Amino acid sequence: MTRFLTIAMIWVCALVVPTLAQDADAPIQKLLQEHGDIIAKSSRKTIAPAIDALATSGMPEALAVLERWQSKEVWRHKETGLFVWAEEIDRDTIRIFDFAGDAQIGEAVDKDYKQLKPNSGVRGMIGAALVQFQLNDPDPVNRLKALTAIERDPEASHLLALRGAVETEDDPALKIRKERLERLLTIRYGETDAERIEAIEGFQGDLGVDARAALNPLVRTKVEAATVLPDAPDVVGVVTPGSDALSREAAFATLVEAGLAAQPISRGDQRAALVANISNGAVAGIQVADLNSEASRDLAYAELARQGLVEAAATQSDIDAALDSHVFYGRFIGAPPNVALAAGTVLGGIENKVGFNQTIDLALDALSLGSIYFLAAIGLAITFGVMRVINMAHGEFIMMGAYTGFVVQQIIPDYTISILVALPTAFIVTFLAGVAMERLVIRWLYHRPLETLLATFGISIALQQIAKNIFGTQARPLTSPDWLDGSLVINDIVAISYIRIAIFVLALMFLALFLFVMNRTRLGLEVRAVTQNPRMAASMGINPDRINMLTFGFGSGIAGIAGVAIGLYAKVTSEMGADYIVQSFMTVVVGGVGNIWGTLLGATLVGTLQKSIEWLNPSNTLAAQTYMILFIILFIQFRPRGIIALKGRAAEA
Amino acid sequence: MNKLTLAAAALLSIAALPALAQDCPIKVGVLHSLSGTMAISETTLKDTMEMLVEQQNAAGGVLGCELEAVVVDPASDWPLFAEKARELLSVHEVDVIFGNWTSVSRKSVLPVIEELNGLLFYPVQYEGEESSKNVFYTGAAPNQQAIPATDYFLEELGVEKFALLGTDYVYPRTTNNILESYLKSKGIAADDIFVNYTPFGHSDWSKIVADVTALGADGKKVGVISTINGDANVGFYKELAAAGISADDIPVVAFSVGEEELSGLDTSNLVGHLAAWNYFQSADTEANDAWVAAWKERMGEERVTNDPMEAHYIGFNMWVNAATAAGSTEVDAVRTAMYGQEFPNLTGGTAVMLPNHHLAKPVLIGEIQEDGQFDIISETDVVPGDAWTDFLPESAVLVSDWQELGCGMYNTQTESCVQLKSNY
Repeated sequence: MTRFLTIAMIWVCALVVPTLAQDADAPIQKLLQEHGDIIAKSSRKTIAPAIDALATSGMPEALAVLERWQSKEVWRHKETGLFVWAEEIDRDTIRIFDFAGDAQIGEAVDKDYKQLKPNSGVRGMIGAALVQFQLNDPDPVNRLKALTAIERDPEASHLLALRGAVETEDDPALKIRKERLERLLTIRYGETDAERIEAIEGFQGDLGVDARAALNPLVRTKVEAATVLPDAPDVVGVVTPGSDALSREAAFATLVEAGLAAQPISRGDQRAALVANISNGAVAGIQVADLNSEASRDLAYAELARQGLVEAAATQSDIDAALDSHVFYGRFIGAPPNVALAAGTVLGGIENKVGFNQTIDLALDALSLGSIYFLAAIGLAITFGVMRVINMAHGEFIMMGAYTGFVVQQIIPDYTISILVALPTAFIVTFLAGVAMERLVIRWLYHRPLETLLATFGISIALQQIAKNIFGTQARPLTSPDWLDGSLVINDIVAISYIRIAIFVLALMFLALFLFVMNRTRLGLEVRAVTQNPRMAASMGINPDRINMLTFGFGSGIAGIAGVAIGLYAKVTSEMGADYIVQSFMTVVVGGVGNIWGTLLGATLVGTLQKSIEWLNPSNTLAAQTYMILFIILFIQFRPRGIIALKGRAAEA
Repeated sequence: MNKLTLAAAALLSIAALPALAQDCPIKVGVLHSLSGTMAISETTLKDTMEMLVEQQNAAGGVLGCELEAVVVDPASDWPLFAEKARELLSVHEVDVIFGNWTSVSRKSVLPVIEELNGLLFYPVQYEGEESSKNVFYTGAAPNQQAIPATDYFLEELGVEKFALLGTDYVYPRTTNNILESYLKSKGIAADDIFVNYTPFGHSDWSKIVADVTALGADGKKVGVISTINGDANVGFYKELAAAGISADDIPVVAFSVGEEELSGLDTSNLVGHLAAWNYFQSADTEANDAWVAAWKERMGEERVTNDPMEAHYIGFNMWVNAATAAGSTEVDAVRTAMYGQEFPNLTGGTAVMLPNHHLAKPVLIGEIQEDGQFDIISETDVVPGDAWTDFLPESAVLVSDWQELGCGMYNTQTESCVQLKSNY
């Protein structure tokens, strides 16, 4: 409080303040006070009257109030309950303004005021109310806001406003959007059936989620029952009780609801009712000893009901009879029948197209996953495929590359340049790490696969822990440059993020690089010679030690670059390598050891398989991975050398 | 290593002395992983405990004694948690333990702590369906986090179709089971609930995000309830942003994403998505300002505070008050004195310890902001924590009341105690 006084004093002394008091009688303030409590509560369920009152008040300040309220700038005095809008100066002080005349009132301690924080539901409603002001706003940004608000919370009143605003629109992109939105709203709120049907037919084959969202509610049906199928236009499709679409219980519930049958009674309740009505060893004149079948118990219960001793209830036989004597059918409840039928036809056409596009989308996803696996495995295709070194630390080279990218981003703030720097840096770092590992460990263990496996596994654990000690276990961000944000959207179903396309391109580039190095350079020739027959190669003047070192470094270096790419689309953690090591080995083994085309095919196969199983079982991604590994094990049983098996002398090396 | 030798030496010298009326110093065990996967989250809590113990010592200790924190490292290794708990209780003879993060580690500690009659304060939100005589649960039960958040989706955002995405382990599976039956009781059809489980550290989210978007095709508003844990969140939010899904179209409410987790993310694309907790660093109270300032001064300006830290803050202070009230640090005396203990929350209001060993606290819902902090947009009334959820038929009949009934798993239908010790 003292602080408030001091600030107020400073204000009075230093400036000529117009007035510190707020105009509590201004019409806009009065209107706000009228709805004060629900505005302060800002709950979607109760707020509608306040928003409507403001939107229809015709007061010049109403627009500003709504906008400021939406952007969380409105505050309310805790004691007087007066509303103001305010800017935050620092954590404890705010500069407050009166809505009436937008006059500055002064600075205040924020403890005296409570900030109104409408949630996104209420913000959406305010947005819908603002539409009428914004649709013809000179600023295209505001017009876009209005369109987005309509898309999210369409109302019948928007249709007229929108129709009035289509003609005057001069921005071509906005005009297209307005026209589409006008059509969508006509489907929902059009006055005559004819205009609705016309709008519906305009969306023939349209793949937009918004179009389906507008059409689907029109074709909703409700199951009804009658003794004979009524001959009405809104009756669609007879359903049989006991089918997938309608269980017997649901069918009977429909009958009960429509008053066509009595409530069913459970066997237990029936027995209890019978027991309660035993008199002289008989129930309703039937001896207890005779109540040994369901039929006789039903009979006794029906007799009790007739005497008015128990409530009438349907028994199992009643239910069967009732179900048999009635016919069940669907009735359109979303729209008049001709509109619903038109929507149904258009939707049918759309669904076919949706199915086709979903397949394309799945294929794109599979291709993208395949390219990620390929990128992760390509280094391994060299160290394992060519040199036959089982390198369990391969994943950690990926991780090392990703962290290199992260460190480079800390130094170079521009994301584009930092990625361009990170790719070669990651290669150099992991190349050196690979060479060091080859020199220190692997070279002593050639042709001893078990020892290599154990040693590299140990190294992998050590590298993970070192990364944890340096960078912590929290995931680190590797942010992609702006031009890789977002997706390539072909339609509302087929879309793929640019970062995945970039990874795909990168994978192709590395395939080319690998082929070039192996087939067109002296290093490649020597590598092939050394792996086929080291002694012969040595006698030709090749230094196998040096070649092994370089090959291993090259494989590790490519793993490092893959790390940068994987970090960009997912995350950088000390354990990311472990996530890819199994898939990488699987890719190389399935594809065929020692052949890069095999690795490519293997990656595509594993990616496609993973996505197809996910599609079959969408609720459990983990199970999809399990099934895939099972499949791979089976596959290896039939083709132990992979898709492309090496033949001839190379195979025995 | 040095610390261990010192601790051992200290122990020997104490053992040589004759027993006093009140053993000084009073030992507070800290059972949080300092290495392995959970280290980053749990190290924060170890630091929190050391800070609390220091602050209490500066204020004169408890019962005229200094407090001493005994820190052990269970290394994110679940069976090792049981070993270390045994070590704390039988070797170091601590009076109380503050510890654990994952549910699986808590389950591993339970038998030890019940056998040796220890006292554990568990600070993390969890799946419920448990009540041990020797554990005080200061984190949120499902009805203090998941249910209010779902209500918020239903009532405030008008969500009609739900995607429940989770990591595949006990907490998300139990929580989603509860939520599924809760949603059905609210009239949401089974077809309108999409459930998906992914492995730890999952990174390929494109298909799942496409599935979620496709849910909107029948014109219903879609919302995502995420129990995705750990670093898998990074890939998930990245894919959401890449697909251009804004929080106004498909809101996501997360139960395992707090300030600490967001510090590893570029939050500019996540603005408006939600999280439900009992505490946010942005809470505007004097107690919280002081707490955040003390934390930043001790740990560095860039460090953030989070919900489990507040749970330890409340749990520790309640324990201090209970011990003072009981005049002893003996477990049963303190436990009896704990019931009805009240302590002010950092976010305002007062937390109360209930006879079922859970707290009564308000639930907050926050929107993610650009700076990685949360803007608190909704605060419920005080919600009493419920050990056994009312939304699963098998546990709806169970209550926990250690004060009156002396039972953590009491069947109200048969009016009998199902079990006294946990057998999980």
